[in-house]
Amino acid sequence: MARKILANGDNDTRLRGAKWWSQVGWKHVFAILMIVYCVFPLLYVLSASLNPGGTLTGSTRLFTTVSGVNFADLMETDFPRWMMNSFIVSTVTAVGTVVMGAAAAYAFSRFRFAGRRGGLTALLIIQMFPQMLAFVAIFLLALTLGEIFPGLGIGSNLQLIAIYLGGALGSNTFLMYGFFNTVPADIDEAAKIDGATHAQIFWGIIMRLVTPILAVVGLLSFVASYGEFILARIVLARPENYTLAVGMYVWGSDERNAPWSLFAAGAVVAAVPIILLFMYLQKYIVGGLLAGGVKG
Amino acid sequence: MRKSFLAAAAVGLSLTLAACGSGSSTSTPSATGDATTSAAATTSSAPAAAGSLTVWADETRIDAFKTLGETFSAETGVALDVVQKPSADIKNDFIAQVPTGEGPDLIVTAHDATGDLVKNGVVSPVELGDKAEAFGDVALRAVSLEGQVYGVPYAVENIGLVRNNALVQDTPATFDELIAQGKGVSGAEFPIVIQQGENGDPYHLYPLQTSFGAPVFKSDANGDYTAELGMAGPEGEAFAQYLKKLADEGVLSASIGGDQAKQAFLDGKSPYIITGPWWTGEFVDAGLDISVLPVPSAGGQPAAPFVGVQAVFLSSKSENQLLAQQFLDFMGTKETQDTLFEMGGRMPALNESADAVSDEILAGFGEAGAEGQPMPAIPEMGAVWQYWGGAEVSILTGKAEPVAAWQTLVTNLEAAFQA
Amino acid sequence: MSSTPTQPPRRLSHARDISRPGFYIKLVLMMLVNALGLYGILAAYGQREWGVLAFLVLALIIADYVYFSKRAIPGKYLYPGLLFLAVFQIYVMVNTAYVAFTNYGDGHNDSKPSAITQIMKTSDRRVDGTPTYPVTVLDRDGEMAFAIVDDDRVLVGDAEEPLTEVGDAVAEDGRVTEVPGATVLQLAEIQQRQNEVLGLRVSMTDDPDDGWLRTDNAAMAYVAKSLLQYDEASDTFTDAEGTVYTADPAQGLFVSDSGEALTPGWRVLVGFDNFTRMFTDSRLAGPFVSILSWTFAFSILSVLTTFALGLILAVVFNDPRVKGRTIYRALFILPYAFPGFLAALVWRGLLNQEFGFINEVLLGGANIPWFSSGILAKLSIIGVNLWLGFPYMFLVATGALQAIPGELAEAAVMDGAGPWRRFWSITLPLLLVSVAPLLIASFAFNFNNFSLIYMLTGGGPNYPGAPLPIGETDILISMVYAMAFESGTRQYGLASAMSIIIFVVVGVISWLGFRQTRKLEEIM
Repeated sequence: MARKILANGDNDTRLRGAKWWSQVGWKHVFAILMIVYCVFPLLYVLSASLNPGGTLTGSTRLFTTVSGVNFADLMETDFPRWMMNSFIVSTVTAVGTVVMGAAAAYAFSRFRFAGRRGGLTALLIIQMFPQMLAFVAIFLLALTLGEIFPGLGIGSNLQLIAIYLGGALGSNTFLMYGFFNTVPADIDEAAKIDGATHAQIFWGIIMRLVTPILAVVGLLSFVASYGEFILARIVLARPENYTLAVGMYVWGSDERNAPWSLFAAGAVVAAVPIILLFMYLQKYIVGGLLAGGVKG
Repeated sequence: MRKSFLAAAAVGLSLTLAACGSGSSTSTPSATGDATTSAAATTSSAPAAAGSLTVWADETRIDAFKTLGETFSAETGVALDVVQKPSADIKNDFIAQVPTGEGPDLIVTAHDATGDLVKNGVVSPVELGDKAEAFGDVALRAVSLEGQVYGVPYAVENIGLVRNNALVQDTPATFDELIAQGKGVSGAEFPIVIQQGENGDPYHLYPLQTSFGAPVFKSDANGDYTAELGMAGPEGEAFAQYLKKLADEGVLSASIGGDQAKQAFLDGKSPYIITGPWWTGEFVDAGLDISVLPVPSAGGQPAAPFVGVQAVFLSSKSENQLLAQQFLDFMGTKETQDTLFEMGGRMPALNESADAVSDEILAGFGEAGAEGQPMPAIPEMGAVWQYWGGAEVSILTGKAEPVAAWQTLVTNLEAAFQA
Repeated sequence: MSSTPTQPPRRLSHARDISRPGFYIKLVLMMLVNALGLYGILAAYGQREWGVLAFLVLALIIADYVYFSKRAIPGKYLYPGLLFLAVFQIYVMVNTAYVAFTNYGDGHNDSKPSAITQIMKTSDRRVDGTPTYPVTVLDRDGEMAFAIVDDDRVLVGDAEEPLTEVGDAVAEDGRVTEVPGATVLQLAEIQQRQNEVLGLRVSMTDDPDDGWLRTDNAAMAYVAKSLLQYDEASDTFTDAEGTVYTADPAQGLFVSDSGEALTPGWRVLVGFDNFTRMFTDSRLAGPFVSILSWTFAFSILSVLTTFALGLILAVVFNDPRVKGRTIYRALFILPYAFPGFLAALVWRGLLNQEFGFINEVLLGGANIPWFSSGILAKLSIIGVNLWLGFPYMFLVATGALQAIPGELAEAAVMDGAGPWRRFWSITLPLLLVSVAPLLIASFAFNFNNFSLIYMLTGGGPNYPGAPLPIGETDILISMVYAMAFESGTRQYGLASAMSIIIFVVVGVISWLGFRQTRKLEEIM
């Protein structure tokens, strides 16, 4: 990758003056405006996380007190444990979603079989079932499964992961399906002629070419399960099993004495891994194809 | 009950476990007897000799009940497995889980759940026997329905007028005078703050409403609520007009939610706030010198806040009824109520324990609630909050004429009761 | 799943090609799957869970067929995902559909036997003014009995026999300690037989009006009487005044002739009642059309705004010349990294009319009624949803952008196309091919985005005086909530039915949308 070829054709990386402003500079201005938009609501949260008492949104005078005591207190609670649970659940869910979703996308993209079209549409439409009552049966399911497979019962992270994986096929599959379709079929054909099986093509060739979308889906899935608390609080009945989102929800649901300071500190800490994860994944998301992956 | 939107959202988002059981002919508890262990509790509960009880308690009382559990266990050999549940979820999850044969043996919750719990047949009646008289009258009525007691009360709480003594030192006898006085306080932005919010908050306005002689429901001879609205008629309309007056004077505003009210009082922007004991701790911690007083009357009659009662309820499907009864007996003892008071800071429901409380702030709330009536626990109450808050907000924001809005409120509620 | 591969497979599946390591990996995996499946089948048999048993057998057979057959190649890739889908999504749908045909909800929460037990339990009241007795629980030839001391006489009775004096019994401190011909049960035994103890009613005398003795704790007994008598043969309850409450299987209630019902009722199937309610409830007549149109406006605008912003960001920062874009991008997804309900709380505070940061600080003390004006409340919702939703679209668009071959853009540059032309005629259409289904999914998600509405405005500002607590920002699903839950009793059956109707509506619209995107796909 000595020199990147830009999709938009603007390949001179040493711009100066007005041209720099018109082609690159404004993007920095835009970025900063966007960051302000993204961040300013969170100032309340940051301010509350640094203030050892008071309210979340009661005052517009932010950062009147700055102290790290909430963060120290946070470590005294179950919070670190919740964070650990969340990492485990979200990581396994993300990996499972990526593998199952990619496999399904591969099948839809590369094979022609009866019910393919209908199946694709059905996958998406099923996901549209209103979530409001969607977990109506989850508790029941959790009980029954727990009786049959100990370890898959109420309170287990494994159960929660299984429930999340129930949604692995869906819009994620579509995203990957679209991406798989852009990988030229010649690649498969060539490999087949060389004697590769479909499994080898899938694992060895296709999966490498679609890294960006795998990273995106992995991240989306990670974030989704990281922030999910509606199903999780059905399954995870005890504070030591909580994921972050459930724990925070429980803090926030206290009608009168919600520990907003702790809550805010928790939210700040909880957001950090997502940001770091994304920064790490970026090189896979935007790096892969610019180097000419699909040119095969 | 102040409906925090998160709490309400929890109900909304969850519609908890609705169908549990409905299709659940398959999940009858296995006959091993161990199936009683709560759904929530994947307890290890071996079929122990003395057995164990599962209790759901919310985050504010989990510690108190864990401590109680140790004492109870030491006394009886029965282990108390206290499971923490968000307060917003306890009632709904309980109603949904009991029919499956799962769910805890006992729950700790506010008494206004009584109506729903009874309607769904998920609680056992409790026979307090001769001990009934040891409890405060309001506390006992709060957990009763149609002459039957359903829970053991352990704490009562209500809102009152909290005064910042640094700003004013004496409080007049009527609400109008209080406003006039509050407006004269230099440096204060508000004469008084009463939390409202975009969806209204009838709970915090209720003392003013009752001072016009317009309780939400009428009571029968025994003091029990009937399903007949008490706020219909000229009394309620007079209150509606008073609301309008307060809004016009800038005393009440839908923009002042809980957060804003609390912060304004903490910042010394208001000499008064109408709130409950849940915030006074923070006020004191913040260095404020406060007193708690009854809310002055606005309409001539005594201002009676709602009294909320915390109680323990027994599941109708508990397979440990006998042990659970022992725990309920234990809940009614002075030692237990004292412990809960020490750990929870709420006024005990047992007279003997309540009399021993010397804390001035709590005593102030006790006095403020002297005229108070239990928050209605009859099933009709479930319909009231939304309409009631909506009507009050429409008066505050000037979207509707007070009398007309109030009359529509009454019509709508009566229609909702029919539905 | 019959497979018709694009061309005849030249090689056998590796399942049969024993020279490849893949075969052994698969063999081990399949052995594990079979072991687990068989274990589950046995366990389900042990637990008498026939539905689960049937499902497991079927799932296992299909798994073995799919992975050991030469055919069904797509099945090999689809099976795991579909299995999870079937268990955790389809089952949930089926269950909700079932509930939609019942009257399940407040007051109809359990089965009929439970309701009868509960009615009997709650109508069993202590007789006012009667004393309590320390009670001793006895076993007489396998029959449980109570013994009490009354006026220094020892009285013993059981389910059949009213309390009668027993002469040579021993009592200490008012409590019976020994009765000839009977064993005094100890605490552990009582606990073992607690249902018997708690269920035992010993008549005080031969006259049923004198009530019976019962105990709740096996220590103290009291005199109680029931307000209602249940007659099993006619399936009726009768109260002291002689009013008869008959079981009505259509309503799931015991009702008297005058229409009075006993609490609680039980669940029964009610046919299509719940489905028709939505169309016959006159209270909905007024606001229904405006709610419907706002629901569409909200979901469409939400998709368009979030996608537009996400796409712009993705395209603009897909430019390696922008230094620091790694950091920029990471910050753009901040709104996504915070818990959604926290964000809703914060935005409510920010938009507070008199005290909010936006009015007070950004707009210099303006008094804009963000939530109490209908139009502004709608704008606020869309604005907040934009903030919450654009990072998702940004990620999706960034991912999808990577699939657009560079040569196309290069060719366009050669043809002299400017950046706008390139975007509109190459980038966007290509992107839409893979992203359009997601936009439809996002539309459907927002169509049912109950939590946002509920947490941000609660549906407000309310229509003043509306017969249902419905407001201008309510969408269909939150209207369902208001109707099925906020008017007093929670009606799960009704809510399920209405959410199924909404699902059908969204499903059909989405299906039509897919047909359009397919055309798009075929053009490309």
